[in-house]
Amino acid sequence: MDNKEARIAKRQEKREQKRQQRYDKVVQGSKFKQWRSKRPFWGATLTLLAGLIILYIPLQLYAIALIPGSFVFVGFLFAGLILIVGILAYIYPQFSTVFGIIGMFVSILSIMGALGGFIVGTILGIVGGAFLIAWDKEEVPTSGDNQKKSRKSKKNHKPKKNPKVANTV
Amino acid sequence: MTTNNEVTVGRTIKRKLVLPLLAGFLAFGVLIAAFGFNGTAFAVPLGGLGDFYVEFDELQGDGFKLLPQMGETGESDSEPLVRNEIDEVTIQGLHIYKDLPLPGTDKWVRFHVESGGEAEISGLIQDAKLIDADLNFGDGLSIEQQNTEDFNENWQQHADSIEITDASIVTDYLFQEFVNLEDAKISTEIIDEPEMTDDGH
Repeated sequence: MDNKEARIAKRQEKREQKRQQRYDKVVQGSKFKQWRSKRPFWGATLTLLAGLIILYIPLQLYAIALIPGSFVFVGFLFAGLILIVGILAYIYPQFSTVFGIIGMFVSILSIMGALGGFIVGTILGIVGGAFLIAWDKEEVPTSGDNQKKSRKSKKNHKPKKNPKVANTV
Repeated sequence: MTTNNEVTVGRTIKRKLVLPLLAGFLAFGVLIAAFGFNGTAFAVPLGGLGDFYVEFDELQGDGFKLLPQMGETGESDSEPLVRNEIDEVTIQGLHIYKDLPLPGTDKWVRFHVESGGEAEISGLIQDAKLIDADLNFGDGLSIEQQNTEDFNENWQQHADSIEITDASIVTDYLFQEFVNLEDAKISTEIIDEPEMTDDGH
């Protein structure tokens, strides 16, 4: 029993060390790396890419896309919505879950009207949406003893009443 | 980003990633299956890949329009073509195929799309280089000419209905707003050389 507990503790320690290394990399990294770590970068980028690929087909068919009731016109709407979701995910990372769900849903629907960017756009949209949903951010103290560093999830984090204590961005 | 002593670090939670991925691909599969079982698709474009061949036994169409068109073909960026637009189409024995060179060999591969039953299409737009078929126009056949620089508007032929039989059409662009292929079959075949019509297309 002690052995098992020791193994679990060791595994947790290793995981903690890995996390710590990642945080250190971010702190010491370039401005772009720090900007990237603050938002669901890969999810938003994949979603944006999906939007561009999905937009390709309606753009090719723009001559008939403006016919009212045309499915190609719907394709334009879907592609535009995916692009907007991708851009907003960079700006408002706190809503990444909602953006992920919308992006994924619209990417699948874009099969109608835009052929899902020859399916490639839809697949990228699903993967990008999943990355957005799975993204979370933590605030980690950087000064002081490394061992005492604590983390708290930011996505559902409510600000504390005392602004002096709630030391956020 | 960084404050006095805190840094914001984002991460992807693997456990939370798997579920939406699975759900997304499942929803995608369901949608594809739903359309696939019916052989139905919306807004299907086929173009930018050079000449391909469309053959069928019989076509019944309503709301026919024929007009001149300039478009990209297998050999040129802009070539004169004939544009057919038909609002509602029912086709018997539809067969679409495209020949492509097999990389690294002197052989060719032919991609077939066939409909075993009846094919129903709405909003058909087709740019053809050559039409070899028996045409029978219904009521309301008219030819309109306008003194305009726009060659699309310069000359047009309209008919309320059209019947085309034993058709072989060299096509460069095809768009369908809605298509339903009964008993659709997609297959490939290795061939020695590509199809050429008597006219050299």
